[in-house]
Amino acid sequence: MASSSDQGRGGIGEGPVGGPWLIWAAGLALALLLAGLALVVQVRAGGERIVLARSSFTDTIGYQAPPPAPPAQASTAGRQVRLPNAPAPEWTPGVEPSPQRIATRVTWYALQVPPLPDDGRQLYLYIPRWKSDGSLAIYADGRLVRQSHANLQWNGSNQPLWIALPRTTVSHPPRILDIRLQHVRGIGGAFSSVWIGTYRQLAPRYYLREIFQVGLPAFSATAFLATGIFGLLVWFGRRDEPIYLLFFAMSAVCFVRMLHTFVGVHPLVVSDAWFGWLTVNSLYWMMIVLHLFAAQLHHARQPRLTFVILANSAAWTIATLPGLLDATLIAWLVYLNIIGLGLVVGVNAAIQSARAGARLAILLSAWCLVTLAAGVYDWALQQNLVNIESVFLTNFTGVGFTLIFWHIMFSRYVEALETATRAKADLARRLAQREAELTLSHARLREIEHRELLHQERQRLMQDMHDGLGSTLVGALRAFESDRAADLDAVGILRGCIDDLKLTIDSMEPVETDLLLLLATLRFRLQPRLEASGVRLTWNAGEIPPLAWLDQRHALHILRILQEAFANVLKHAGAREVALAVLAEGGQVLVRVQDDGRGFDPAGPSTGRGLANQRRRAEAIGGAVRWETGDRGACLVLVLPIEKAGSGAAYSSAPGA
Amino acid sequence: MSIEGAPPTPLRVVLVEDDVAFQEAFRTALAGADDLVVTGVAATAAQARALLSGPPAEVLVVDLGLPDGSGIDVIGEAHGRWPDCAIMVATTFADEHHVIASIEAGASGYLLKDSPLPAIAQDIRILHGGGSPISPRIARQVLMRFRPDERPPAEAAPVDKTGPSLSERETETLQLITRGFSFDEIAELMGVSRNTVLTFVRRIYAKLEVRSKTEAVFEARAHGLL
Repeated sequence: MASSSDQGRGGIGEGPVGGPWLIWAAGLALALLLAGLALVVQVRAGGERIVLARSSFTDTIGYQAPPPAPPAQASTAGRQVRLPNAPAPEWTPGVEPSPQRIATRVTWYALQVPPLPDDGRQLYLYIPRWKSDGSLAIYADGRLVRQSHANLQWNGSNQPLWIALPRTTVSHPPRILDIRLQHVRGIGGAFSSVWIGTYRQLAPRYYLREIFQVGLPAFSATAFLATGIFGLLVWFGRRDEPIYLLFFAMSAVCFVRMLHTFVGVHPLVVSDAWFGWLTVNSLYWMMIVLHLFAAQLHHARQPRLTFVILANSAAWTIATLPGLLDATLIAWLVYLNIIGLGLVVGVNAAIQSARAGARLAILLSAWCLVTLAAGVYDWALQQNLVNIESVFLTNFTGVGFTLIFWHIMFSRYVEALETATRAKADLARRLAQREAELTLSHARLREIEHRELLHQERQRLMQDMHDGLGSTLVGALRAFESDRAADLDAVGILRGCIDDLKLTIDSMEPVETDLLLLLATLRFRLQPRLEASGVRLTWNAGEIPPLAWLDQRHALHILRILQEAFANVLKHAGAREVALAVLAEGGQVLVRVQDDGRGFDPAGPSTGRGLANQRRRAEAIGGAVRWETGDRGACLVLVLPIEKAGSGAAYSSAPGA
Repeated sequence: MSIEGAPPTPLRVVLVEDDVAFQEAFRTALAGADDLVVTGVAATAAQARALLSGPPAEVLVVDLGLPDGSGIDVIGEAHGRWPDCAIMVATTFADEHHVIASIEAGASGYLLKDSPLPAIAQDIRILHGGGSPISPRIARQVLMRFRPDERPPAEAAPVDKTGPSLSERETETLQLITRGFSFDEIAELMGVSRNTVLTFVRRIYAKLEVRSKTEAVFEARAHGLL
């Protein structure tokens, strides 16, 4: 049993480094090494073993303190027994649990010590087990050398005894050892063989047993509880995962159960009755938690079975409350019931977890069944049916449980980490995928947009060529063909065409909402013609806000409207001065072209196609043109909105051919 | 620096242009001017290089679209060989892309090919006299190139990288140009003489050229070429 637990510990301690086989092999090697070491220690250990004793008894009521010296006839009276001596317990010891009135018995063992070298060396007694629900007193050569002083029944009887014999200047090795056990009549009173020897001879035997029988269960139970508390804290943060709470509950009940293996040398804080109740019933609680924990692993819902387990456990828990049935006295019955219940829980968990393929649950339930087998053995030991010098196996299977539970939680932890890593990787992958999709769709949209833009630009330029350059050239061509060439200002027409072209090219460069830049470009283009014709231009470019809607398409319309306005001034007005003013006024930008020429009536019949074109272009960009005729000259006002509700409207209202 | 008074010796002008029609127009335009003389005409970049190894001219007029190379290279070479020569790029549309590339290569002005013939001679005189024309779009482009916040801060920080920057007056001049004002109007608005405004523009062109060179050096450094 020790080896299996060590094996498990190796598995946990090594962690996920290396393959599982390496871990198991290392664990096995470590276990074998420990077992070999224990064997060597036992073989090399020495000391005298006393197995013959004379035993006598006296029935008593309640518990009394031991006498100062053993009765004189003890070493000769009574019957010869062979140690370990374990009287068969009665099934129904007594019905009076009160320590004052309980039926008790004093059993005396008188042991003849073999002659030892009288060299004044310190001698020790080593007693592997004293199995007594009662008190103990040990006399050496008639003098009391040790007595139990804790509770009457839960008094550290699981712990091997290690007694340093009194050593003075006149002391000699003892010849007679008297042992007094006062125990419940019908149970207890068993006693193992007794070893006597020096420290070097006996210490290995004592410590080996002490470690495996007391130290290991104590250490494992405490460590389990510590991790259980950690689990409880985890559960506080993750209430929807009851497995952490169950882990804590398991560690807590295991700790309670294991208490009796390592406490009791000193008085307990609770009475024998309560301690017995705790110790015995913790096994039921363990069954409940085990059942629920396994259900967390194999995920099978078994409400009826759970109810039966709860009912059975609750019934015994209540029935054995102090004042009702005494758990200590009917322990054998309680333990038999537990073995039955454990069988149900273990087999059920094994079946369910095998069905669910839950590897950890299979391990747990298998260990549960192993523990049951150990429990049967322990029950036999408890009933003195096997050699009482052997050890309680469930102490070791309990250590195994600790390791298995650790392994389960450890696996969950590693699994959670892996899941998180996978989730992160998965998220990154999905993100990259989505990003790629978006990039693709963005590129497609861009392409469509680009194509659309190209299409619009082509439309715009074609429209412009058709209305402007094209029609001018065609007009000139027709004039040349029909002998009217002499009337034509050929240079003027060609210059006009080049100016048209320049403005078209200008309109292809972005102006970025800057109307003034657009107008400046226009001036730059028209300046040579204005200068040539001797018309003075006054430039009043005021501060205006940026026009967010101003794009190339709009730019060309504005350029053409104003180009036409200047052309009219030059051709028809006979003006000497023309002034361009730009100003912002009530949500609108006004561009005024004022000349000092003859003026004209925009509603008159001779206005021609030019004005209609200007009007149409202004409407196409969401603006308007109007003509103001004053005393002197004419004034064209181009009204543009500073902000447009929907810039898309401009595209839809493109000038029709 | 008088433009009206004819210098004792006429200005030597070299034309690099493959279009025969413009060559003719150019010759005609300058034939009418006593103070200008065409000392060489090259129709290809190779011919232009041959001319560049000869005695320097006062004015060089370069068309960008040459059959065997770019006029920009010719401008760059001429700027190196004839440092005192005023270089003009001959263009129909004075579009900002070509003009700025030429200025960066060392040109100090442009000549509109469709100008009336007398205007061509006058433009050459003005340029030689230190007056560089500048269109509103080119002014805006220059402003944008020198605007510090147009560039990412990490790139804009070191001074040696971005080269020279515009002075407040130069920036103001450019801004007024983008709003359509003429040199005379700008001079009046800024309370300076027309010549001062012309100086501003010349300086701006010079800075644009220096800047483009330092940027080229920086780019080369960044790419490990220097």
